[in-house]
Amino acid sequence: MQWLWENRDLVFGLSLEHVRLSAIPIIVGLIASIPLGWLANRFRVTRAIQLTLFGILFTIPSLAFFITLPSVLGTKILNPVNVVVALAIYAIAIMVRGAADAFASVPRDVIQSATAVGFSSVSRFWKVELPLAGPVLLANLRVVSVTTVSLLSVGALVGNGALGYLFINGYQRDFPTEVMIGIVFTLIIAVLFDQILVAIGRVLMPWAHGVRGSSRALTVGGAA
Amino acid sequence: MLFAAALAFIFDPANLLGEKGILPRLMDHLLYTGLSLGVALLVGIPIGLIIGHTGKGKNFVIALTGSFRAIPTFGLLLFIILFTGLGLGPLVFVLAILAIPPIIAGAYSGLDAVNRETIDAARAIGMTEWQILGKVEIPLALPLILGGIRSATLQIIATATIAGYVGLTGLGRFLIEGLALHDYTLAFAGAILVAALALVADGILALIQRLVVPHGVSRGMARTTTRSGRRTAPPALTGTPITEG
Amino acid sequence: MQSHGVKRIAAGLVAIGLTASLAACASGDPLGGGGGELGTITVGSQGFAESDILAQLYGQMLAANGYTVKYSPSIGSRETFIPALQDGSIDLIPDYAGNLLYGADPKATATSTADVMAALPAVLKPLGLAISSAAQAQDADALVVTKEFADANNLVTIADLAPIASTITIGANTEFESRSYGRAGLESVYGVKGWKFKAIDDYGGPGTLSDLLKNNIQVADIYTTTPSIKANNLVVLQDPKHLIAAQNIVPLFNEKSYSVAVANIVDRVSNVLTTEELMSLNEIAAGDSKPSPEKVAKDWLTKMGLL
Repeated sequence: MQWLWENRDLVFGLSLEHVRLSAIPIIVGLIASIPLGWLANRFRVTRAIQLTLFGILFTIPSLAFFITLPSVLGTKILNPVNVVVALAIYAIAIMVRGAADAFASVPRDVIQSATAVGFSSVSRFWKVELPLAGPVLLANLRVVSVTTVSLLSVGALVGNGALGYLFINGYQRDFPTEVMIGIVFTLIIAVLFDQILVAIGRVLMPWAHGVRGSSRALTVGGAA
Repeated sequence: MLFAAALAFIFDPANLLGEKGILPRLMDHLLYTGLSLGVALLVGIPIGLIIGHTGKGKNFVIALTGSFRAIPTFGLLLFIILFTGLGLGPLVFVLAILAIPPIIAGAYSGLDAVNRETIDAARAIGMTEWQILGKVEIPLALPLILGGIRSATLQIIATATIAGYVGLTGLGRFLIEGLALHDYTLAFAGAILVAALALVADGILALIQRLVVPHGVSRGMARTTTRSGRRTAPPALTGTPITEG
Repeated sequence: MQSHGVKRIAAGLVAIGLTASLAACASGDPLGGGGGELGTITVGSQGFAESDILAQLYGQMLAANGYTVKYSPSIGSRETFIPALQDGSIDLIPDYAGNLLYGADPKATATSTADVMAALPAVLKPLGLAISSAAQAQDADALVVTKEFADANNLVTIADLAPIASTITIGANTEFESRSYGRAGLESVYGVKGWKFKAIDDYGGPGTLSDLLKNNIQVADIYTTTPSIKANNLVVLQDPKHLIAAQNIVPLFNEKSYSVAVANIVDRVSNVLTTEELMSLNEIAAGDSKPSPEKVAKDWLTKMGLL
């Protein structure tokens, strides 16, 4: 506790960095997954291609991405963009499958009814399909959020791990307290993100209070 | 090109054997994976079956193990090593922690998806609770149970690469060496090897998943028995920790 | 209960941070960073505590003299931070003269401080790198064994390992094996060959130390200024043939970031940094309160009258 107080600037700075570097991939993952997931749900062929592609991407260890992306992107090796891009790839890989499931969870007769009462396909997507897919999308996004916050710390091995710095620094100094503070703050950020997502879900989807979203999150293991 | 160079490295027979060869490192990687998965199964399957069968404590257990997902594996590993020193134990422990949530989730949601009427029918014809679990629930839940195991396996295989940083070997050594020596080819080769191992393991588990489904239980049936009515076909090629539901 | 309160406060702080950082993203400048009067200098450090302290010594001196300073800690091995210097990710990093020379020119032969420093500029020039003055302080890789192992095998110098080489495991960072004093140098200079290698990437830190004490490895590469050598009564094997070159601390620059003005400021650290002072800095950092490198550096600079 004393160490935490004396090093509050360091820990606070790293926490900010952690929030920033993990928020971007989560947001990118959500935005990218909506059209991709919709496509995957709509067409059998794109579904097979996408699930295979992102399935393979997901099997590549994060460390491998962190190390090799500079040579692929042409970025500087200490550029945080490398870590952000790697985590965004994971986020998309997880979200696309989840988004496909989310759109599949929209009952077919509802879509047909919407068409019958005169929705164009565009407005049907925005006003019917997307809102009804929302709870399942949210449940998946919560998993992406937890995973991203946790994985980011491995980036410390390539000089961009935010709170992961405390892991390596504490380890090399033989100082478990520092490592534990890194773990605790990572958990705090994970919980915070999760609470924010749940709150956003309540505001945007008041009708879905818990029911399907939470049962999904439960089977999924959900966030803390 | 980097990818081609990495493939050339992998298929060069000179890199297969020896202290730093692909084969011994692959065997070590399999060892770490097998041990961790074994521990995770011993812990996760009984817990998942108990809460799935009784429905008791499910919120607590699922929330607890779900929060395991938020623990940064890398940090936890270094933390433990500061007390135990380097070794296989800390690695297996943190990888098991990683694998337990999807295993429990798979077992729990598998049992949860079994139609209550089926269970009541089994009870009505005089089956004991153990018989219901062993002869009705588990067989019907197997696809989802195995789905959880598949997901856990893929996560272990990818994450076991950190072994290379803490005095162990495995395929992660190619990544750590690539990083330390700034050798992208080596790092690429490591990435390809780990991904290939994950895909092969996933394929084998998918095959088992297909074979163990008992006669009379098609996946189509398992699908219709879910309460939520959503598709629950066993997940294909993917390591997402979330698809077993 | 107390920790609950702390968590809440921390959560609040992080929430504020989220807003602030999103604002920073919106401004399109992810690294933030304003411009100081004299420009911005990014100081990197290698992946261990001593390097963090040295980086802070340079950085705080520069900050006190009108530069805007950013830090990029724990970059890793020389194989990684040299490209980081070259691509401009960092401008300055503390390095060790001998390893720097042999990393840039594996065929180098210099071993003494004077020879190494004389050889360096010509080797660094084509790489787009530059150095300023070396400190008297040295921190070299050293092959270290436990007292018991040294006694049992009559080990005094590295050469004494030759008869038992095939039975030992040496633990060190990954890059050790391919360094000039690794496999090739140990064999050609001392006839030590056939040993096993265990890669432990903590720069002679706690993992390496515990493995050495448990006899999982028999020889470890631990830096001479590391407090754990004295604390555990370890024996540093002598190097009479100078396999490991002089490792004076030297500020290493990206050539584009080098200027006489900057070098003069950084050299004020080099001018007073002795090996004894460096060891005391490491001991303070390893002490019970585990002060941050920033604080260790600040206290020392104040003590030395530099701030």
